[in-house]
Formats: sequence, C-alpha cells, structure tokens
Amino acid sequence: MMSFTPAKTKTTFTSYVDGPKAVNGCESGSAEDVKAKLLEGEIEVARAYAQLFAPATKMTDDGGVPGVLVVTNYKLSFIPNESKEMYPAYQENMFVGRNDVTLSNIDHIYQITEKKKKRITSQQKISSKIEAIHIICKNFRFLKFSFKGTSKEQGRIIASSLLQFAFHTRHDLSFAYRYKDSYYRTMKSTVTMFNNKSDWSRELIRCGATEWKVVSTDQTVQKSKLLPAHFVIPKCVAIDEYLKKAESFYDSRIAFWVYSYDNASLVRMAELQPDQENMIENTTLESIRKCDPRKKSLEIINLGERLPSIHDVQRGYIKFRELCTPDTPRHFLLQDAKFYSLLEKSCWLLYVSLCLKCAKEAAESLRDGTTVVLRENNARDMCCVISSLVQIILDPYFRTIDGFQSLVQKEWVALEHPFAFRLGHVIIPEVENESPLLLLFLDCVWQLLQQYPEEFEFSQTYLTTIWDSAFIPIFDTFQFNSERERIQAATCKESKLVLRPIWDWNEQFSETDKLFFTNPFYTKKQDGCRRSVALPANAILLPGFPKKPMRFTMNPNELNQSSIPKDQYLNPRCGVADLEIWQQCYYRWIPILEIKNGGFPQIELFQRLLLRNISKLQRAIETGDYDELPDELTTPTNSPVKQQMMPATNSFFPFSTNVCDATQLTDILTHSNELLMEGSIMDRLSIAQLPD
Amino acid sequence: MDKRINPDFNASKHASSNSLDSDSKSSSLNSKHGAETIIPRETPFIYLNGEKEQDQKNDVTHICPYREPAVGTLTITNYRLYFRSHPTNDRDPPVIVDVPLGVISRVEKIGGSTSRGENSYGIEIFCKDMRNLRFAHKQQNHSRRTVFEKLQTYAFPLSFNGKLFAFSYAEQFPEDGWTVYEPVAELRRMGVNNDTWRITKINEQYLVCDSYPAVWAVPKAASDDFLKKVCTFRSRNRLPVLSWIHPKSQATITRCSQPLVGVSGKRSPDDELYLNYIMEANAQSDKLSIMDARPSANAIANKAKGGGYESDDAYKNVELNFLDIHNIHVMRESLRKLKEVCYPTIDDQKWLTAVEGSLWLKHIKCILAGAVRIVDKIETMSTSVVVHCSDGWDRTAQLTALSMLLLDPYYRTLRGFEVLIEKEWLSFGHKFQQRIGHGDNRHSDADRSPVFLQFIDCVWQVGQQFPNALEFNEHFLITILDHLYSSRFGTFLCNTEAERVKEDLKHKTVSLWSYINSSYELYRNSLYGANSSGVQTVLKPLASMRNIKLWKGLYCRWNPSMRPQDSIYQRTREMLALQEQLQRQVNDCRMKANSRCTQSTGRLASPLH
Repeated sequence: MMSFTPAKTKTTFTSYVDGPKAVNGCESGSAEDVKAKLLEGEIEVARAYAQLFAPATKMTDDGGVPGVLVVTNYKLSFIPNESKEMYPAYQENMFVGRNDVTLSNIDHIYQITEKKKKRITSQQKISSKIEAIHIICKNFRFLKFSFKGTSKEQGRIIASSLLQFAFHTRHDLSFAYRYKDSYYRTMKSTVTMFNNKSDWSRELIRCGATEWKVVSTDQTVQKSKLLPAHFVIPKCVAIDEYLKKAESFYDSRIAFWVYSYDNASLVRMAELQPDQENMIENTTLESIRKCDPRKKSLEIINLGERLPSIHDVQRGYIKFRELCTPDTPRHFLLQDAKFYSLLEKSCWLLYVSLCLKCAKEAAESLRDGTTVVLRENNARDMCCVISSLVQIILDPYFRTIDGFQSLVQKEWVALEHPFAFRLGHVIIPEVENESPLLLLFLDCVWQLLQQYPEEFEFSQTYLTTIWDSAFIPIFDTFQFNSERERIQAATCKESKLVLRPIWDWNEQFSETDKLFFTNPFYTKKQDGCRRSVALPANAILLPGFPKKPMRFTMNPNELNQSSIPKDQYLNPRCGVADLEIWQQCYYRWIPILEIKNGGFPQIELFQRLLLRNISKLQRAIETGDYDELPDELTTPTNSPVKQQMMPATNSFFPFSTNVCDATQLTDILTHSNELLMEGSIMDRLSIAQLPD
Repeated sequence: MDKRINPDFNASKHASSNSLDSDSKSSSLNSKHGAETIIPRETPFIYLNGEKEQDQKNDVTHICPYREPAVGTLTITNYRLYFRSHPTNDRDPPVIVDVPLGVISRVEKIGGSTSRGENSYGIEIFCKDMRNLRFAHKQQNHSRRTVFEKLQTYAFPLSFNGKLFAFSYAEQFPEDGWTVYEPVAELRRMGVNNDTWRITKINEQYLVCDSYPAVWAVPKAASDDFLKKVCTFRSRNRLPVLSWIHPKSQATITRCSQPLVGVSGKRSPDDELYLNYIMEANAQSDKLSIMDARPSANAIANKAKGGGYESDDAYKNVELNFLDIHNIHVMRESLRKLKEVCYPTIDDQKWLTAVEGSLWLKHIKCILAGAVRIVDKIETMSTSVVVHCSDGWDRTAQLTALSMLLLDPYYRTLRGFEVLIEKEWLSFGHKFQQRIGHGDNRHSDADRSPVFLQFIDCVWQVGQQFPNALEFNEHFLITILDHLYSSRFGTFLCNTEAERVKEDLKHKTVSLWSYINSSYELYRNSLYGANSSGVQTVLKPLASMRNIKLWKGLYCRWNPSMRPQDSIYQRTREMLALQEQLQRQVNDCRMKANSRCTQSTGRLASPLH
C-alpha cells in the first residue's frame, strides 16, 4: 500500500519553489547518515542536530531527546539518536510517524534567542543566533527543539526552511501535487460522496422529500462559477429563473435543500448581496414554503446574529490552544491557577454551546413540522456546522460511521466549505481567512457523544483522527475550497492530483488501529422497525433492546415517505455548564497531564473486554465447544469481574505510549468488534429468550 | 420496560442523584430520547422503624425553583419532612419532597399577617445539602405555626432538650456495621506489632488524650511513660501515632497536632527524640518529612497562640513542608459561595469564572496535591511522613485518609473505605458534632465546616481519574454524605471516640455501615477490578485544575436540568449481568455434557460386570 523510498540525493531538488533556493543544512558531519523515510515526491530540504523537549518542561541540558531534525517539502521529522522500541499500543499513521508533523499542520513558529521568544513569519528576518524553536501545530501539538551544542547556523536553517515550505500562498504548492503514488481505492462504497446527481436523488428519496429536485450545473447552462456541482431546489421553480436569482446572493448561494424530516425541510441560504432587492429573497423563500404541503410558515435562523463569526472562532481557538500548549512548568502552573477563567475568556466552550443550542432549536422546529432556513453570509461556514449538527441530532443514520462520513461529504465537501482557507492550507497575506470551524463541529459532536455514548457508532478517537487527517495533504477531502478546484486539480494535465478521500482509512491505518474508531457502547438499532420481544419476567435487561415496546404501525400510504425513524432524536444539554473539555484531542501532547492507568480508555477497554467475553461465550454455546474458552470465563463467581485481565493503558490511549501486552489488546479489540460490527448484536443478544 | 424488569438498576440510577429517595419523580423526567415515556414509579412513604408522625397539614404549597408551585399535603415526623402534591391530572406524577430533618440547618418564617400576594406567607428551610425548601401556607388555615414549631423541635432536638432520631431508630439489618472496624485487627492487617512498632492501650480510658482512640500504634522504642511526657508538648496531647505503614519499606504515615512552640520558641527534647524514633523505625531513610497542612503564614501566626511548627534547629534530619491548605472558616465560606453558584439556578454565561471564584476547586486541588506529595515521599523516597495541622483533626484527617486511599488498595474497597473513615476520621476525633451541628439550631456556629465533604469530593476526583480503581460508586459517596446529616444512624454522631463510648452509640444506635453493607450491590462500581493485576497498587491522581472537575452530580443535583446521565455504568452493569448469565449457561451445558458422558460410560460399563 505504502512505499517508503529511501532518501534521495539533493539532485532531485526541483524548481517548483519560488523564492530563495534550497537551504543546505546537511553538511555537518554524521547527521547526514541518518536516513529519513521519504514518500514518493518528498524531498529533504534541511536537517540539523537538535534536542526535542516536551511541552511544559524546561529546556535544560538533560531533559531533551537528542536526534536529527529533518525538514522536507512534506513534513518535519525528528529522528531520535536512540530509537526506542516501538510499542504497538499506539495509533500509528502510515504517512506521519510518531515524531513527525506534516508542514500543513504547523501553525506558529517561535524563535528563541537569548531569553527572547518571538513569533516568526515569512515576512520577518530570522535571527542567526537561534537557540531553539517552538512549533505550535493546528492539532494542538507543541514541539520544542533546542539547537544548543550544534553549530550556530542550524537553527536558522531549520526555521527558514519551515517558513518557506510550511506556508503556501498558492494551493498548487502543496505537497498534494507532488505525491504521485497511485491510489487503489479499498473503501466500501457505503459512503455517499454527494458528487453526482444520483447521490442527491437517493437522499431525497431517503428523506421522503418529494417536492424537491436535483440540479447539476454540468448539464444546465451554467450561470455562475460559484455554484456547487449538484444542489437541490424546489420542484415548483424553473431552473433558469432560480439560477438567475441566485446571482443576487453571496457566492450564488440561493436556498438549497439539504434534509427533510417529514414535511419540514432544512435549507441553507446565503444573504443577498448589497443593492439587491428584498423581493428576490422573498420570492425565493415563498417557493421554499410551497414545498411543504401544509404551507406552514418558515423559520429563518440568521446564523450571523446567533453565532460567533469565523474571526471570533479563530480568536477563541488561538486563546484556547494557548491554554493547551504551556511552555514551561511555570507557565503551566500560572495557567492552572486561573484555568477556569482563562477557559471562559477563550470563549471556546461558549461557542460550542451556542452551536449546540442553535442546532437543537432548529431540530425542534423540524420536529414540529416547520421548515428551517439557515441564513448566513455565504452559507458555507456556520451553515455547515449547524446543518450537520441538526441532522446528527435528528437522524440515527448520521451517528453511524458511514452516515457521518456521508454527512460531512454532503454538508462540508459537496456544499463547499472553503477548507483551503479555513484550515490555512493557503494563506493570503493580510487576509484573515483561517478559522477551525471543522474542529468546532467535531467538538460539538464529541459533546453529543459524551451525553449519548450508546447512540454513536464511532468513538472519540475517530473524531480526533479526523482532525489530524485534515492536515495530511495526501488526502484531498479537506484540502480544497470548492469542488471546482478539486476537479481542476485532478484533471489538469500539469498537476494530475490523485484524489484520495480520507474516508479510505486503510490508506492511513492498520486494521488494529481502525478498531479504535468504533464505540463499544454503541447499541446498533435495526433499520426502521424494531421487533418487540416478549421477555420473560425474570429476563436480564439486554443492551440493544428498545427502551420501550414499539408499536410499529405502517400506513401503506406512507411507505414511499421518509425512512428516517422519528423516535431516535437526541435532546442534548447545551449549556456551558453541561459541557466538558475534549481532553483526548486537546491535552494528548502534554505528557504531564496523562493519567497513568486511568482515564476513559479504562472504561472503554473494559466494555470491549466484556463484549469479547460475551462473544466467546456465545460462540461456545452455539458450537458446544468449551475448550477454547479462557479459564476466567469458565469459573463463574459471584463477583465475576474480579480477576479479569485488562491491558494497562493510560488516559491518552491510543495517542500515547503504552507499555502493554499487544496480543492481548488485539484479541480484545478484534473479538469485541465481531459483536459490534456484525450488526447482529440484537440477534446474538436474543439469548434472553432461551429458557433459563 | 427496563424500569419494570430491573428495579435494582433503576433504583440505583435514581439513587445516584439522591440516596434519600426524595424527588424521585422528577429524576425520571431525565429522559434520553425526547420520545421516551415516563413510567412513574410509586414511592410509598414507609415509616422507618421508630418514626412517628408529628403533624400533617393539607393545603400547603411547595414552591420549587424548577417547576410550578404544587399544592399538597405536608407531613412531619420525628425523622422527616414529607410533601406530596395532590394529583392534578393523570399524566404528571405527583411532586414529592422527602427530606430528613437532620439535613435542615435553619428554618425561617417568611411573610407576616400583612403579607399580600399568592404564596408570600410560609416557611423557608435552609438545608446542609446545598438546597433550600419553601412552603407557602394559607394564613386562614393557621397551619404555619404548628409546622414551624414541630420543625424546630425535631430538626434541632439538642437545642430543645430532645434526642436525635438515631436513638429512636430501631431497624434490624443482617449485618452489624459496628463490627466493621476493629482497631487491633486493622493494625494487625498492617503487620503491627512488628520489629519497630507496637500497639499500646495507654489511652484505654481516654485519659492521656481525650480526643484520641483507645488503641494506638507507636514506635517500639517509646515506652508508655515516655509517651505521656511527649504528649504534653503537642496541642491537646495529640502526639504522633501511626496511621499507616508501608508493607515493604516500612515507611510510615503518622499524625499529630502542632507542637507547642509558642512565641518564645520552646523546645521539648522528648518530642524531638520521639520524632527521631519514628524516623529510625524506618530503616530505608535517614530523614523524616513533616507535612504541615497549613499555609506557612498560618503556622507562624499560631505561635502567638502557643502553637507553631517544628524548627530546623530543634529537629535534626527533618524536612518541613507547608501544604497551603486553608482553615475551616475559609472552607465554610468557599462552600457558601459554591452554593450561590450552583443553587437554585446557574448563570451559564459566567459559570466557569463563578466556579473558579468560589475557590472550592482550588481547595480540592490543594488537598489532592498534598496527599500526592505524601504518597510520593512514602512510595518513591521511602521516607516516613508526619502529618499535622493545628489540632490535627481536620486537614490532617483529610491528608492521611486520602494518601492512605492512594497508597493502599484495601481502602479502595467498599469495606476498606468504611474502615478508613472509622479510623482516620471517627477514631482520631474529627469533631463531626461540631462541624455538622447535628440537631443544633445555631446555624451560624463558627465551628461548622465542610471538611469531611471535601475529603469525599477528593475521593470522587480520584474515582473520576481512575474509573476502575474504587470498588464503590458515586452513589455510595452521596449516601455517606446524605447520612452524614440525616441523624438516622449513629455513625457520625459525637466528636470523639470517648464521647461515643460514653453515649454507648454501638448499642443505642444503628451504624450506617449496617444499612450500606446490607445492600452491597447498590453501591458497587461495575467497573471495579478491571485493572490488570498488580499494575496499579499506588494511585497518583493529577492535581491539576485541568483535571479537577466540579462534582455536578452532588452540588447541582437538585437542578433537574443538570443531572448527569450514567448510561455507561448502566450499560456495563447490563453487560456484566449478561456475561454472568452466559457463564452459568456454559457451566450448565458442560455439566450436562459431563453427566451424559459418565452416564453413557456407566451404561457401557455395566454389561461387563
């Protein structure tokens, strides 16, 4: 799948870089002997001896890990002199090693010179006496490298090559265009990409939305270059007329359908451009209203008034990230003393709370049968967050892994959240385009997962991994501002970019690592109807059974209607006081905050252990073969948990080093997943009906 | 469905928000899906053995900050206040308020004969468990006076020549909780007597130190006569005695009160020698660490009152650390502020700064950090630690008990934790009577302080960080706190062991542990024991604000919108039950298979005979 080509010599250095020529840092003796693993198309541009320090530590002589720092056109890689044994109980990414960060992940670089710490940018001169550099990454990772004891120039060389290669002003400078390895798609086609007309048509059918139609810009006369490739508009309107009206809206984002819940629909719409007549908006809204057979009046939610702007979110993110990237122990303690008020000042949790509240309210309106129009300046930022959250709250399908991925495709990718700007893949000087709305959304989903652990098929590790993957340019999903740009890059003769969706997790992870994406608390529900099972009076309550007996009466007239269950919506608590900090995602790079043998992984793994045991016991009962059962399962006691073995894991597992028995861990993971993945948990658990 | 089939799970689910089982109706409103129907569970008001009705009034209105006022019947017994609303329709369950009178700290009349407006005339009740209750009476009914009087009489019996309900309560339990803690047996568990420590009964009559237990463990090198000399140099004669000894290194935790140094800097060669004995009893280290729980400024200020701390000059090979934990008055004020933040409603916009402003979590962090330092000295440095504060019965008890919980897995079991409370808190004279003010109407008494509550909060924090390290669950901790106030059990009555013996509590009252241990399963943490064997004998919680949380399940539990869900624990319980059922099934099948085997071989064998 992945091929690591050995480090190529400097002759392969290409001229795609504007500005100063290659930085040469490879002449200082034996540092050159260290081989960095390079991808195809990856080129080394600088290297230096350095010592790596953890966040919240002093950079003293004895605390660091000595090694070689290598900068390529793709990543910053640290190769320790003494490579420690690799523990398998750690999430290993095939494209990013444990001591690597992709350049795309790098956000702020600081130079440390004689007690002065200063952020450096491309416009600034870099000191020639850099003693150390600090690198703060978009995924909250914080790396500190000291160049003490190496030649003076080394720090400057590293810093300037990072500045040169990590921040692009043009998209085609990204490593995505250099990486030419061919791609063999291995993912199942269960993820709906929403990049063709039929995906949207099927979604209309699934939602029972009969009053809407799909428009594809490739078959109609294209009115605006800003329109997405496929979108859904009221059936009752003439396409040409509607598209003409679209030009009056920002980014041509006239009202587009995204979801229906019975008669009510969820619609995204931009604001009118200045000097446009309100009439245009009014007639548009009227055509939306007509799609509801009962012609109920619409609820228009102005996201601009209700929610923080993208700039607010960015500021909040930076402040919050500062709290999660303490430099020295002193800094850590100073923050600790005022942690709660600093947290409040960052507004991060407040923004999460506002998004959840807004989504909950919109979901309630939809449940009441009122069509909701989400209105936002360009309908491509907060609209993505709120629209996706509403659907997760209402629809259990979007809480499965396939469903969630399809949802992100629909709301974020197909309807064109400007990822390249918001995630800082392309930086336009003097323009503040960056804003981690994707992270804000993932945090909201994580909060829902906390409150409803049994409702989601995926785990927090899955959500954290999505955020990490946004900074691996090899995967195109979160790289582009629009579908047009994506298609252009893929088809243009010069670039021929290989499109690799991040959803093809096999590309990044081994089978074991992928097992961490599933949530052992998830109780899979059967689509649509659930059997009502008569339980004996003394039966043990089984997970996965409906919470109450279901009376499933199907009206034949409604068969063509929505197949979305209407009794599985969430009712989350949304106040700041109800929220928690997503420790795994934000704290995992601070070793001193890791609880040894503690934290949520203990709960999760124990659940997996129980699932494994149940799976093994059931298999034994089915086959009548009891010899394979582990000893602790064949001798029931009154306190059955007492002596069960569980691998020792720490609180940031699987993102931290864990010394534990990997075979045992794999056994638990694979066997517990059998029960989770087969989708037959209900059948398997119907053992309760057996005579006691 | 689940509610009918599994009363146990259900009960514990409710109970985790309130062990006293009041208000259980509203907790079932905590529905998961909006579509879930509410199946009301009847909570009949069953009188406890020894409980007698004192007053009953119809037409009283309960005014709740979270819902509409409800008209109903108010009953007062010698144990509780019970309100049940009259049914208004078939759909809504009745409103029930069920509060032990011991929880009440203050009762006040609101409104007078001139009061106008609906519900402006009645009684307001301030509780020790972070809530207030309000009942409106109709003036023309003249119901308020007797209710008020009965409440005074039975909530504050000690101020009105009455006796606490614990002395009337006569329930029988299968287990006798008074036998949970046997001091000598507990010392034996730790290996005392041994080469360096011995048990002494010098205080059997509580004459040497009236706030200490009858049985102590002390360094073998110190004779009983010598102990009598040493204790004179310690505040209230509370000389250093053993709390815990490390099974391998023999490093110890000993506890005491401050030395009586005074302004003049008095010294006691006996005390100095005695501390040396403690140091020498541990062969692993040539140092002794003294953990003075107070902020150093307080320790210095205590010199003026004749107290102080161990100076470098006087005590050789001793290192003194101040742990910066504040006194009982600061803690009381902090909890008062926290109540303002949590009850009745919260200001979501300012929630985080308000919580921080109460300083409650900062105090919790300080105590946890202090305990972790003690653990570190014992475990990593093998150095013995002497812990004291001023009198050695508040902050000292927090620190010794918490560090023992972190060091010794025994105290993390349900019974072990009961032993820990009995030993470090009750036998060593934490003044529960004064700190809680059982049956006493002086609500603003300066001796009241939530010191024990802080300890339980710290234990909860440990449970949060190590979800499978404690055998008991959150409900267990909340139950302990509820009955800390309820006056139903004798466990937390009186200030010292001597007083408890004098009052003969073991025979005249029931122990809380009888009640708890008789429904053991209700208090068990379903995740307990899932740790890999032998890895984690010592727990080191992180005392960083980033990891310390507000215990919403306790402090915000009266607010129906703040109730946390425990579906993960629920799910684990279900899976455990399923696993057990399958295990039984496997065993049955195997036995059947085996017997079939033996039968058939028997049959085969018989023709040969």
